[in-house]
Amino acid sequence: MNPRPRGTTATSAFARLLETLRPDLVRFAFWLARDRAVAEDVVQETLIRAWKSREEIKDPAATRPWLLTIVRREHARLYERKRLPTVDLADVEAQGDPALAGDGDAGLEDLRRAIMKLPDEYREPLVLQVLGGLTTSEIAEQLGLTQPAVLTRLFRARNKLREIYGLAPAEDVE
Amino acid sequence: MSSVIDCKHARLQIGGEPQALSGDVAQHIATCTACSKFRDETLAMESRLRSALELPLHHFRDSPRKVAPRRFALAASIVLALLVGGGVWLLRPQPALAAEIVEHVRHEPGSWGTREPVPPAVLAAVLAKAGVRYNPRLPVTYASPCLFRGHIVPHLVVQTDRGPVTVMVLSHEQVKAQDKFIEGDYHGVVYPAGSGSIAVLAPKGQEFDGTLKEMLEGAL
Repeated sequence: MNPRPRGTTATSAFARLLETLRPDLVRFAFWLARDRAVAEDVVQETLIRAWKSREEIKDPAATRPWLLTIVRREHARLYERKRLPTVDLADVEAQGDPALAGDGDAGLEDLRRAIMKLPDEYREPLVLQVLGGLTTSEIAEQLGLTQPAVLTRLFRARNKLREIYGLAPAEDVE
Repeated sequence: MSSVIDCKHARLQIGGEPQALSGDVAQHIATCTACSKFRDETLAMESRLRSALELPLHHFRDSPRKVAPRRFALAASIVLALLVGGGVWLLRPQPALAAEIVEHVRHEPGSWGTREPVPPAVLAAVLAKAGVRYNPRLPVTYASPCLFRGHIVPHLVVQTDRGPVTVMVLSHEQVKAQDKFIEGDYHGVVYPAGSGSIAVLAPKGQEFDGTLKEMLEGAL
C-alpha cells in the first residue's frame, strides 16, 4: 500500500467548509443566473478560485460572504466572457424548470416562480440576505450600494412577494 | 412615550430586515396594530421564503447543459494493453508535445510543493471544467484547469510512494502509441487514451513506473 501524505485522511477544515457551503453556493448561483447549467459552471469556477486563494481567508466566519462574492464575480465574468444569452423567463416558465419544483407543494413552486420574476436588483439582495445570511451592511458592501438603498430594495422585493399570499402591499417608499 | 417613527418607515424596516428590527420599530409596533399585523405577516412569509430559496439540488443533477462536455474515455483493455507492452516504444516521442508539457509544468513550480489533498469538490470542478472524467486512485494535492494548446485540460499532481507526479489529461491530444520522453530535468510518458492521451511527468531520477497502473486506471 502506498503511503499517503500527511493530511489525506484528516481533510482540512477549509475543504470541509467548501463541501458544506457548496449547496448554498449552487442555489445562490442559480438565483443569479436562473439557469442550472450556468449555476453549476459558476460554482465550479468559484471552488477552483477559492481553493487557490484559500490563504486569504484568516477568519472561517468570513468564508461564506467571501465565497458569495466570488460567485457573484464569476457569474458576471462568465456572461462577460462567453456573452451568454440572458435567460428568457417565458422559456423557463414554458419548460417548467424542475429546479423550481415544490415536490408536491404547489405554493412553494409558485413562490419560487415569483422570486424568479423579481427584477435582478431586488432578487439578488434578497437571496444574499435570506440564503446567504448577510446583513444589510454586508449586502451594501457586496453590491456597492448604501445601506438605505439595500433596505429599500429588500422592502420592495418582499412587497412584491406579498401579492402571492393575497396580502396587500405596503405603500412604497421613495 | 410616543413612537419616534411613522408607519411608512416602520414598514420599510420590517420589509427590509424583518429578523433584525431596531428598538424604534419595536416601539412603534407596540403601539400600532396595523404595523404589528404587517410584521406578523412578513415573518410568516419569511419562513416560506427561506424554504423557497433552498432549492432541492437533486433536480440539478439532470440539468440540461448548453454545451455537452467532452467525455474522455479510456477502456480498461487499453490500459492493460499498455501495461503488457510496457517496454515497447512503437513511435519516436513527439518532441513538440513533450516540450510543451514540460514547459507548462515549469510555469507552475508551486504545483509540486503542496502536500494538502485537494477537496473532492474542487477536483470534480477542475475535471468538469475540462469536460473529462478521471478518478485518480492516489491522493491529488494539486488540481488546476489549465490552458494547454488552446484547450482547458486538468493539470493534476498525484502523490505516489516515490514522490509527486504530474498528470495531465489531454483529451484533445492524440498519440498513436506511448511516447516516453526526457526533457531537461524531467522525464515522462504520454499514453494514448480514448480519443486523447494522458501525460505523466516527474523530475528526472524519480521513478513512477510502479504507480502508473493506478494513475491510468483512474481514467474512466
